[in-house]
Amino acid sequence: MSAVSSSGWLYGAIQSRRNRGLGGLYLVVAAFLVLYVVLFPGILSVGGFSKFTQNWFPLALVTMAQALLMLNGGITLAIGPLVSLGAVIAATTMGGVFGVPGGILAVALTGLGIGAVIGVIVAQLRLPAIIVTLAGSFIITGVALLLLPRPGGFIPGWLSTGLAGHTPVAFLLLVLILLLWKVFLATPLGLGIYAAGDNPIGAFRSGVPVERVKIAAFALSGLLTALAGLFVAAQTGSGDPVIGAPFTLNSIAAAVLGGVGFLGGKGTMRGAVCGSLLLSVMINVMFFLGFPPVAQYIAQGLIIVGAVAVPELLKQWRARR
Amino acid sequence: MKAVKSLFRNPPLLTLVLVALVWLVAGLTLSGFGAYGHLRYLLELAAVIGIAAAGQTLVILMGGIDLSVGAVITVTAILVPLISPAWDPTGLVGVALALTIATGIGFLNGAGAAYLRVPPIIMTLAMATFLQGLLVVVAGGSAVTVSNPAVLLLGQARPLGVPAGILLWLVVSAAVLLIIHRMPIGARFLALGANPLAARLSGVSVARNTLILYALSGFFAGLAGILVLGMNRQGYVGIGDPYLLTSIAAVVLGGTSILGGRGTYAGTIPGAILLVTTTALITVVNASPGWRSIMFGTLILSLLLVSGREARR
Repeated sequence: MSAVSSSGWLYGAIQSRRNRGLGGLYLVVAAFLVLYVVLFPGILSVGGFSKFTQNWFPLALVTMAQALLMLNGGITLAIGPLVSLGAVIAATTMGGVFGVPGGILAVALTGLGIGAVIGVIVAQLRLPAIIVTLAGSFIITGVALLLLPRPGGFIPGWLSTGLAGHTPVAFLLLVLILLLWKVFLATPLGLGIYAAGDNPIGAFRSGVPVERVKIAAFALSGLLTALAGLFVAAQTGSGDPVIGAPFTLNSIAAAVLGGVGFLGGKGTMRGAVCGSLLLSVMINVMFFLGFPPVAQYIAQGLIIVGAVAVPELLKQWRARR
Repeated sequence: MKAVKSLFRNPPLLTLVLVALVWLVAGLTLSGFGAYGHLRYLLELAAVIGIAAAGQTLVILMGGIDLSVGAVITVTAILVPLISPAWDPTGLVGVALALTIATGIGFLNGAGAAYLRVPPIIMTLAMATFLQGLLVVVAGGSAVTVSNPAVLLLGQARPLGVPAGILLWLVVSAAVLLIIHRMPIGARFLALGANPLAARLSGVSVARNTLILYALSGFFAGLAGILVLGMNRQGYVGIGDPYLLTSIAAVVLGGTSILGGRGTYAGTIPGAILLVTTTALITVVNASPGWRSIMFGTLILSLLLVSGREARR
């Protein structure tokens, strides 16, 4: 009995330590949310909340996909094209013989497959992830353009209203995915992603199959990204071969806002998801306040640099004192 | 066998051999490819990539990366026609002003990386986003035609039949090779890339060298922007976008490690030529944009498999 309670205490202590450094982020997110509620009280209704979370959902998914790789010491610049490809495949297969289940399966398998191929190239052939995914983004864009040269395709109406209607289905899905991530982290493979990112040699010597873990990380990241594409297709009611373009930069920005480091092993998924929420709220607020797109670009650039620089400067200032 | 093995251990030479092979095969199978005028045109296009990749090589050697190269090229190409004063008949004042601005942008990147401790990939990406927004405000999104004589001379003149752009590339190459391999500062860059901590403990100033490097990268990107403006006679938003990927790819194709500390500009030169040749070959094959994109990505990936691999750790 005492063993259980002490391990529970240990678990709590570790979890609260993992929150360290994120306090500022939680405060900023809370402040922005309060500002949002004051500006647009409509968010407090079920419909408003649903719409808000639907705008956030795909960004949260791609941020998880990016953070997963960054925690493992990798990175991907193929997020945007893979979102587009997911949307295009959803829009071209759902009208076929296998219907919606076939379409979802096709999107999921494509994401897993492309991710795994990139992972094999990075892990087994020893090419830098940043270049492989950059070259891969051209190939993926090409495939999406071949499948659907211009926006179109078919998404059943009930799927669109189900996923992106006036019910918070997207939010519930996100909670479900986060719970799955929690479970996944408790498996050897999930822990291996962190371990191999933090210290590959140490992880290898402790029996983590570093290369297989890396391939799994890329495959999972591909799956999440392609599913984000599926959701975007359901949201817009059609497929578009270039709709994912902004997601590449935003996924990196959100992960970095959430305190995930580039060198692997540093950061948490909860931070990354918070980062994506912050970015999503900021984009929404600027949009509703009538900022021109140009000013949004400028503000986004400044905010990202500020979000990374301020904690770093605070740390230096504290160290000097 | 031994010669082949040593070739694979020398990436710059390997890339050069690849270029020679591709040119030979394409010259024999495609009519018009091997013509002097066409090869000269390819080199002229490669000069832009090569000059933009000069700064990128330096930054990557130190273990950083510059994702604002494309944006800086666009900024210079659009600013030169706008800021060239009418009273200056040579046009050199406008060029100098634009280069100063480009260097200043690079300096800001370096300051962000050195003092604010923002990771270079984020700093330069955010800078690119920022510049993109700023440009639409400044230029209003329309194309501007250049009348600056110095820029036109650089883009169009052919002393002794050699385009001025290629001559500029030769000068840049010589300067960069000198900096990396014959000057103390080059040794410092390499030391910082190989092991930042050891370099710092040996008295190499991280902040100062970071500032210099990113300023240089901005300067070279600005130079590439002026060259591309002279060749196109027009600047528009997005003119520099293709040069971001190609500048990084040229560096990696030339055998420089993306992790820093190992490599040389001598590899980037054939890397740039190889990239331009690849693009030219894809345009020859009459394909849809989708297929062209797939071919470009696949070719870069397979070229990387030959020459860009990281050593087994």
